[in-house]
Amino acid sequence: MDGSSTGIQEPLDLIRLSLSERVFVKLRGDREMTGILHAYDGHMNLILSDVEEKIMIVNEGEQATVSVAKRKMDMLFVRGDGVILVSPPSRT
Amino acid sequence: MDDSPPPPPNDAPDTQTPPPPQQTSIHTGSPTDFLKGVVGKKVIVRLNSGVDYRGVLSCLDGYMNIALEQTEEHVEGNVTNRYGDAFIRGNNVLYISAAEAI
Repeated sequence: MDGSSTGIQEPLDLIRLSLSERVFVKLRGDREMTGILHAYDGHMNLILSDVEEKIMIVNEGEQATVSVAKRKMDMLFVRGDGVILVSPPSRT
Repeated sequence: MDDSPPPPPNDAPDTQTPPPPQQTSIHTGSPTDFLKGVVGKKVIVRLNSGVDYRGVLSCLDGYMNIALEQTEEHVEGNVTNRYGDAFIRGNNVLYISAAEAI
């Protein structure tokens, strides 16, 4: 059942192993953020600190361009249903 | 009296023996059997948004939350991101496709 040597038995283990680490989170609405993961639950509600959010905004026009808005937040609660993907820091 | 060897129950020594059946024929199994079969294999996970994630499936759960390794994010055929590990929340999953023989 384990496809890896990291001892992951269920997907949430990946999140558990990332506590206190900086994670990358991809959200609905063309948003991405990185932050230090402090807490999570089964809904994938997240508590992040030291967050930088990137919002991709498509500008319609002759040639569609994408601009990126960034903002920073000290402490953030993310509602789980907006989460698409969470990636822990690559551990070596 | 009974020291004569019993005949083998199914002896067709000179005819070619058929190959043993494939263990747990995946092609006729349930969806759960398929998912068990692809754990540890390369898969393509497509989300409702149309984005594909290609990687090695490390595990999944009843919500279809997915843990992938060596993941590449593909948008319209182009690689847009790489992740060593990735957790995908199950509600976003459209399908899981086996990308190698299972």
